[in-house]
Amino acid sequence: MDKKDEKEKIGVYVCHCGTNIAGVVDVSEVSTWTAENLKDQGVVISRDYKFMCSSLGQELIEKDIKELGLTRVVVAACSPHLHEKTFRNACSRAGVNPYLFEMTNIREQDAWVTTDKAEATKKAKSLIGAAVGRVAYQQPLESLLVPIDSNVLVVGGGIAGIQASLEIANSGQHVYLVEREPSIGGHMAQFDKTFPTLDCSACILTPKMFDAGNHKNITMLTWSEVEKVEGYIGNFTVTIRKRARDVEESLCTGCGICWEKCPKKVVDNVFEAGMGNRKAVYTPFPQAVPNYPVIDRENCTYYLKGTCKACEKFCPTGAIKFNQEDEILTVKVGNIILATGFDLFDSRKITQYGYGRLANVFTSLEFERMSNSAGPTAGRIVQRDGKTVPKVVGIVHCVGSRDKNYHEYCSAVCCMQSLKFAHLVKEKTGAEVYEFYIDMRTPAKTYEEFYHRLLEEGTHFVRGKVAEISDATRLPGEEGKLIIQVEDTLTGNQLRVPVDMAILSAGLESRHDAKEVAQKFGISCSADDWFIERHPKLDPVATMTDGVFVAGACQGPKDIPNSVAQGAAAAARVLSIIGQGEIEIEAATAIVDEVTCVGCKQCVASCPYQAIQYLEDKGKAYVQEALCKGCGTCVGTCLPKSITLKHFTDEQIVAEMIGAMRVMKSFELMEVA
Amino acid sequence: MKEFAYFPGCSLEKMASSYHLSAMETTKKLGVKLNELDDWNCCGATTYFYIDELLAYTLCARNLAIAEKTGLDVVAPCSACYKNMFFTVAHLKKDEDLAEHVNFALEEDNLHFSGNVNVKHLIEVFAQDIGPDELKSKITKPLEGIRIAPYYGCQIVRPQKEKEDVEQPQFFEEIISAIGATPVNYPLKMRCCGGSLIISSRTAALTMVRNLLQSAVDNQATVIATACPMCQVNLEVYQQQVNLEFGTNFSVPVMYFTQLVGLALGLSHKKLGIGKEFVAMAPSLLAIGQE
Amino acid sequence: MTDTITFGQEISNLLHAAEGEPLKTCIQCGTCSGTCPVAGYMDNSPRQIIALINLGKKEQVLESNTFWYCASCYHCTVRCPQEINITELMYALKRYSIWKNHYQEGLIGPTFSEAFVKMILRGGRSFEPILAPSYIFSFNTREFLQEIQGATELLLKGRLPMLPARIKRLENFRRMIGRIIPMGGLE
Repeated sequence: MDKKDEKEKIGVYVCHCGTNIAGVVDVSEVSTWTAENLKDQGVVISRDYKFMCSSLGQELIEKDIKELGLTRVVVAACSPHLHEKTFRNACSRAGVNPYLFEMTNIREQDAWVTTDKAEATKKAKSLIGAAVGRVAYQQPLESLLVPIDSNVLVVGGGIAGIQASLEIANSGQHVYLVEREPSIGGHMAQFDKTFPTLDCSACILTPKMFDAGNHKNITMLTWSEVEKVEGYIGNFTVTIRKRARDVEESLCTGCGICWEKCPKKVVDNVFEAGMGNRKAVYTPFPQAVPNYPVIDRENCTYYLKGTCKACEKFCPTGAIKFNQEDEILTVKVGNIILATGFDLFDSRKITQYGYGRLANVFTSLEFERMSNSAGPTAGRIVQRDGKTVPKVVGIVHCVGSRDKNYHEYCSAVCCMQSLKFAHLVKEKTGAEVYEFYIDMRTPAKTYEEFYHRLLEEGTHFVRGKVAEISDATRLPGEEGKLIIQVEDTLTGNQLRVPVDMAILSAGLESRHDAKEVAQKFGISCSADDWFIERHPKLDPVATMTDGVFVAGACQGPKDIPNSVAQGAAAAARVLSIIGQGEIEIEAATAIVDEVTCVGCKQCVASCPYQAIQYLEDKGKAYVQEALCKGCGTCVGTCLPKSITLKHFTDEQIVAEMIGAMRVMKSFELMEVA
Repeated sequence: MKEFAYFPGCSLEKMASSYHLSAMETTKKLGVKLNELDDWNCCGATTYFYIDELLAYTLCARNLAIAEKTGLDVVAPCSACYKNMFFTVAHLKKDEDLAEHVNFALEEDNLHFSGNVNVKHLIEVFAQDIGPDELKSKITKPLEGIRIAPYYGCQIVRPQKEKEDVEQPQFFEEIISAIGATPVNYPLKMRCCGGSLIISSRTAALTMVRNLLQSAVDNQATVIATACPMCQVNLEVYQQQVNLEFGTNFSVPVMYFTQLVGLALGLSHKKLGIGKEFVAMAPSLLAIGQE
Repeated sequence: MTDTITFGQEISNLLHAAEGEPLKTCIQCGTCSGTCPVAGYMDNSPRQIIALINLGKKEQVLESNTFWYCASCYHCTVRCPQEINITELMYALKRYSIWKNHYQEGLIGPTFSEAFVKMILRGGRSFEPILAPSYIFSFNTREFLQEIQGATELLLKGRLPMLPARIKRLENFRRMIGRIIPMGGLE
């Protein structure tokens, strides 16, 4: 190993961090020791200070750089995750390249892992020895500046996606809004009334849908899906498949004659939650945006048998065009917002609740459709026979949520939703309503007051998780009813509650293809398959992948106000990036030496961020700096050692090790040859 | 020829001898060999676990060690025996400490248990090893028109062993369909018969039995089929007590599923241990298999 | 590190297959008690027993008839959203209360269980008639007579054993038990 010829001038700063570090490590002793013992390694000044991250602390560094001509700086304090940037900026301000700074952690990795003061002080010295050894070999680096394409991709046209799109579009930037279903609107379009205001869901949603659908800055692509995503922040290339509707959009007026005349009825399992029918050519609901229909090829008589074509015959503008091809679009965007929403937990899994086996057990979505005046029963609350109005209704909380057998988490919306159901049932039928809950979770604004309203309306609240719903009647008065078996935990009585109808407040789950979608966009999923945010408290809409954001229920169960807020938040983040015009990328990236690279492509396969390309014409690997996260996997994989990770070169790492070992040898903690 | 180590359990000697007889006859006819375990002891039922866990495991482990010597899997016709032995195997395999203690005790009988035994319930043999299709092919007198209520009871499916359906299993119904009978939609099929509560908390158990009988009657069952001697005794032998206690007049025949399978296979009443019932068989069933 | 062990910890130690203190995770949802077929006969429901244990109310728990009414049907266990093995808890409470000789008066369960265990020690196999004295005298006259009548009928139908069965290697068996519990401890 070559020894550095010119001695660098290194300043070392040991932070007390109040008593966090100083309570265990003898910081002043460490500082004095450093000045004496690491002088031959280039340390010209060593100080200790109460709070290095404060402006006074940073000024110490800046002053020493100016007055003593320091060329390298080491700070021994907390984790670089917290303050590496702070000190790098201080160096920058004083004229030292930020990558000539090294931070060593004597808090989380020293003071906070032991109570032995002597050991802690020794370790601090070894850590500083290591940092000093390393910093001498560090090189100045410049951050990469990447231009930002101002187009934005929003995936998912539910309320979160719509909100995000409108915010961005209104600011003057262009949005591609991609939605899998034939219309935007998402789950919110299925609901009847929303809590706690009891606003009609469609009434508050459709104006936004219309705005989004007609906005000059929004290119709405429904019945479409993203197939591939390549690139990095500011520079994504996205391939979108616009599926064939078999309808010529420029000719279609949305008059509806085609679906009126279509003879083929299909059970609508998506929008009507299986409660109603649609035709083979259809729009999912009357206020659909766009209102061009779509032909369901799997159920269309023409595609199945080659006959019919009634829609084509009757269309006044000739807009029906069978055998259209899917369109593949490739667009360039700078940022992506994922707002793909949730799926409802499949209540059939809880066999003791009888959903799917006992006729009059309904799920929450089924009930929403029933209560919706544009729904399959025109808003009447009736049993499965379509006629009988129930006299007693039971609403069951926590179906598939808060249960280790299914999902351990709480689905956030079901308590409020159940209260809403109780109100709607009472209002429309005058029935007796029972609600079975474990806890009543009504945290947000006016939610608790909504609960009070339901208490006043005379809903019977039973605190107990429903054990079983069955049709095994045996007592007089139970004939023909469903028996809900539960313990009323507040009075300690086991109850048999006969009801005509049971509504299951099923939990929220991630979309069934969430994992595949996450992989496509280069982000991760949690154990429950929700998309993972960058920080659960302070950064809920960003992900670990720069330029990809999440909003709404796909990040975790939440209600409409929170989805809207997250949609707007993600939009704001995107707009701030676009506003900067270009963005700084961390400079500690890998670089391939083309001379020694043999083109084996092992690095391409091993890169977890797909940041390495294989250049066919040169037969060499190439690292796309903006995608590289500096993890070092490729460096380890590369057999001819052609890849170097800037700021983590072999030289620097070995110097760090030797720096530590030298100190440990002096404490006779190890033998060094 | 499928072969198993057969653990009859204490009640199959006398109280449920008809279960034993019909089990042996039907398995023989279907090509399954049941070799009774040599010098088996009581599995401890639920009661041993009330006193001492280690002792209870040791009791079961002795039987399992004897079975391990034969190299065969164990089949138990009684649900409690089955549950005890199944979980003894599971716990001893997972907990080395426990296994050490138990094997230390087993040394006194020159036995050692290494965990290489699988335990099955007799009904699993019919449902899986033989299977409904093969069963159907061997039937000579399908029980047409006979409505059979499948009474699973508790300890065949619970506690859950893997991720099987513990609320609405169908394997018993499949057997009933295979023998040509009509399985009754019996909503209380997974509910408890009371077990040993028939002794220690009589009224509670009688109420549970009453509900089960009522449900069978409400669903027009000709007969209740059971797969456990405890369930059969509670439902049948104590039916008279239920009537006296609650003023009902139940007269529901309760038979072992092996007896019903045996009838469909054309075996005689005598061979199937029929004739020791407290509640007379339904005439429609009586007609089948009369010598 | 505490020197005294809480009642909750004592009970958790008796739960063989569980780790730590699973009772602490009970959210008092009531599924167990809603499911239990015998809950109506218990003075405290299974959920209430767990709450009492978590509160350390040893006396109340041991004086309760709850676990003696448990039929060991495991229905609560398969449904518990916190995956607590409630049936095992009931077994553990039975063991604890017999060990401490502290249980509600007038219960048949404890004496019956002890008689059953002694019966198995005697011959290695069950012999129902010998159990009768342990419970039949707790019955009222009507029940007593009904039981006699039932037993007679069973005998006539050949369903009741007249002589106790014994296993062959009884001596080994007894020594085997002796390695677990000193015989004196059970007599």
